[in-house]
Amino acid sequence: MGERRTWPIHLLLIVASVIMVVPFAWQILTVFKTTPEVARIPPTVLPEEFSLHAFETFFSTVPFWSMFAVSTGSLVLRVVGQVAVAALAGYAFARLPFPGRNVLFGLFVAMLMVPSQLFLIGQYGLIRDFGLLDTLPALAIPGMFSAFGTFLMRQAFLNMPADFEEAARLDGANPFQVFWYVMLPMAKPTLAALTVLTGLYSWNDLLWPLIVSPSGENRPLPVGLAGLQGQFGTDYPTLMAGALVCSIPLVLVFLLLQRQFFRGIASSGLKG
Amino acid sequence: MTSSAKSANRPGVGWALLFVAPATVGLVALYLWPFLSTFVKSFQDVPAFGPATYTGLDNYAELAGDGEVWQAFGNSALYTVLVLLGIPLAVVLAALIEQVSRGRSVYRVLFFLPVVTLPVAVGMVWRFIYNGDFGLLNYVLSWFGVDGHYWVADPRFTIYAFAAVGVWMGLGINLIILGAGLQAIPKAVYEASALDGAGRVRQFFHITVPLLSPSIFFVTILTVIAALQMFDLIFIMLRSVNNTALADSKTIVYLFYEKAFVQFQQGYGAAIAIVLLIVIMIATALQFRLQRSWVFYG
Amino acid sequence: MRHTWTAALAVAATLLTACSSGSTGGSTGEAAPAGEKVTLTYANWSEDQAPAMEQIATEFQKENPNITVKVQTLPWPEYWSTLQVGAAGGTAPDAFWMLADHFREYAKGGALIDLSDTVKTAGIDMTAYPKAVSDSYTYEGKIFALPKDFDTNGIWYNKALFDAAGVTYPDDTWGWQQVQDAAKKLTDPAKGVWGIAAPIDAQGGYYNTILQAGGGIIKPGGTASDFAGPEAVAGLKFWTDLQKAGVSPTLKQLSDTEAVSMFESQKVAMYFSGAYWALRFHKNADLKGKVDVAPLPQGVKRATVTSGIGNAGYAGSKHPEELKKFLVFLGGAKAAEIQAATGTVLPAYKGTQQPWLDSMPEFKLQVFIDAIDYSVPLPVAGNTAEWQGLAAQYLAPAWDGVKPVEEAAKEYQAAVDEVLAKQ
Repeated sequence: MGERRTWPIHLLLIVASVIMVVPFAWQILTVFKTTPEVARIPPTVLPEEFSLHAFETFFSTVPFWSMFAVSTGSLVLRVVGQVAVAALAGYAFARLPFPGRNVLFGLFVAMLMVPSQLFLIGQYGLIRDFGLLDTLPALAIPGMFSAFGTFLMRQAFLNMPADFEEAARLDGANPFQVFWYVMLPMAKPTLAALTVLTGLYSWNDLLWPLIVSPSGENRPLPVGLAGLQGQFGTDYPTLMAGALVCSIPLVLVFLLLQRQFFRGIASSGLKG
Repeated sequence: MTSSAKSANRPGVGWALLFVAPATVGLVALYLWPFLSTFVKSFQDVPAFGPATYTGLDNYAELAGDGEVWQAFGNSALYTVLVLLGIPLAVVLAALIEQVSRGRSVYRVLFFLPVVTLPVAVGMVWRFIYNGDFGLLNYVLSWFGVDGHYWVADPRFTIYAFAAVGVWMGLGINLIILGAGLQAIPKAVYEASALDGAGRVRQFFHITVPLLSPSIFFVTILTVIAALQMFDLIFIMLRSVNNTALADSKTIVYLFYEKAFVQFQQGYGAAIAIVLLIVIMIATALQFRLQRSWVFYG
Repeated sequence: MRHTWTAALAVAATLLTACSSGSTGGSTGEAAPAGEKVTLTYANWSEDQAPAMEQIATEFQKENPNITVKVQTLPWPEYWSTLQVGAAGGTAPDAFWMLADHFREYAKGGALIDLSDTVKTAGIDMTAYPKAVSDSYTYEGKIFALPKDFDTNGIWYNKALFDAAGVTYPDDTWGWQQVQDAAKKLTDPAKGVWGIAAPIDAQGGYYNTILQAGGGIIKPGGTASDFAGPEAVAGLKFWTDLQKAGVSPTLKQLSDTEAVSMFESQKVAMYFSGAYWALRFHKNADLKGKVDVAPLPQGVKRATVTSGIGNAGYAGSKHPEELKKFLVFLGGAKAAEIQAATGTVLPAYKGTQQPWLDSMPEFKLQVFIDAIDYSVPLPVAGNTAEWQGLAAQYLAPAWDGVKPVEEAAKEYQAAVDEVLAKQ
């Protein structure tokens, strides 16, 4: 295959990549324009005068750093919780027989298909009854128990050879030890996948944080960004600046950990 | 709790229950119970304040004759079909990326960027691009002499505009999943067919697509479920005060949200959600039935 | 900002239903023993007004050293969801801003503290407020909020665009015809300038013209609407004619870019709207010296809808006595004077409006105060949020010129009546 020319392929891919990237480029160019310039017809491509006004407005309106801290904190909580809960359950569903296992697992799968908005009211009630409104755990808790993780982990454990498990068991290890020392290390790619996907969901979540933070404390970045749109309706430079600043942290993490992101997502697909 | 060497092959049920307990408690309290209460509400009239009353199938009867509900289902269906068109695109791009050795990771990163961008931010950026007067899209179209439109203010175009963004956002994930599937195809298969004189296009259709079909199927299932639940784009892109396109552009989940959370009609909203759930289940079951005819398990 | 009411973020009024037990049980709490420190929260949705609210809180604390007031400013799009969810969770702010179109659901549901007795014992003169505003916070004869401010409508216009087109500025002699004529002269497609913005806007737009034509919007009793009567149709036609003449940006353009933004970017010369934009226009450097305001034109008669924010209290507050004290203070002259002096709003309390007028001498703001005389309360009936939400859908074809106004109005009326019949 190496004999074949690859430049036509590169050409196609470059065109496609440009289309993918243009919205970001446009966003970045807009950030440095003034509000009247943005509304000009036809639009200008490069900013006429380099203005940092948009960033000033954004940082003076949105408490970026505290929201960033909330986003990060709730992400860590949610990911750790979800991975722990899902790995344990997934292992049991895959490897430990118990009565009613299939029925219970069926329930998990069924919940995957239910639109998540449908759970909001009940989840809110529970968080409130536990007195967790306006707290960091409130943001993370429902996401910790999503059926998706259990489903993913079960798939991972199902596909593992039984030999190691048997051997460890014969050596007198209890099921938790088998799980912890033998099986879990083999599930690393799936754990990474779950971490990446749960992290993404957590970072992007908009509706739930709005609901469980009635007093406006402990609100993550998407909420601040959505609020910005309400306040600055068509001040596009400020909106674009907010969108840019709030998106950058995860993009940086992604650039640093590309391999983990790709491997994680790939493994979630292969096992399907 | 002890597992003696004799019962080594069958660890105690106690352990299993212990393992599934946290997930099950969470599932029941945070998912199953809220779901059941929504289900019950779908048979009730639930006013803004005060007690609910059972009204039997009234909500469902009203829903069947409600043009707004039908339109929302139509919009969701159209959106789903359009977003599915992104899958062939992803298959082609994944195959192309697989063909090159240099720059592969750069392409992947670029295609993946929308996945790691906040959806709220994505919505804001595209809303600006779609602006009918000074948006980038119409400007670019004008270079080619094509007339622009008010993409997110004209109900004839809104669903298409959402779908374009949906495809753009989902491409990165699909490429990675499909790319992994491609790498699992043995190189020998291609080499053998190359010896038979098969060209790239022929290989694509006769080797790549069939051998990749399990991954394509998986991506399709995920795409359909997600597309039928589309909500946030409309939420962000049509939220201007007087956007007259909103009325004709609602998706089914948006309508549920509006009824249940904005217009004080939880019972009716619940009925809409239950119908959506049934639609999703039918769509998924149908795909599993159809896969027999096109998915190739080697 | 109040007009960027985006339903989408308004989560869960009805969350209340799921869990209304207990939390709205009324003012069963007792006054804290003397000397004990009590903290009240006071929520609003305006960054612009927050400093004035802080100042009011400080003033109140001076008089009541045992009460601390914490001012909470929430973004407008999240305000109502937050409030409703909070009321359900028993975590609502003690005092908060209320609007007429949301008021009924709260009052009916028992989420608001009843101030009727407080008004009597504190000797509050209800005639100090514009009647249209105070009436809108009365439910079944009980008072649930004291008016904070009010707004009426006028014609905001861009003097520079009028000068450029050689058109005289609008004044109190103008009738409908003058607006239509001026809009035509002001429109200059080459420059991308329109004479007026004609969106489907109820409060700043067609409610006013329907009333000016002698129509009534909601029939007495609140069980039926009157959008299809000849007066209402005339009031709607005022706007569809402007669209038909091409002197306003189209509905689609106004969906992409809100009318007020069009006005701020000097693309429309006239914009019918309320007093609440004054500060924003005043602060906008691009508009300096270019903007002023005139009374709405006369139709068959003069009319404008009016509404205002009310200060309400949460029925589930842990400190009802202190809360009532604070609400009385908020409704009083001193709080009104602070608001006026900061220039942010037109206070509701009679005789305190002068400092507001003085704070922005460039604008003929007296227009908004004079309008009280012919103002009519914003129509509310039944589930107002629901039937108001249907307007764009039913009226857009008339605005777009693809359906006769009479027909669209008839269909809208039927849809509204269906909602009202559900009561």
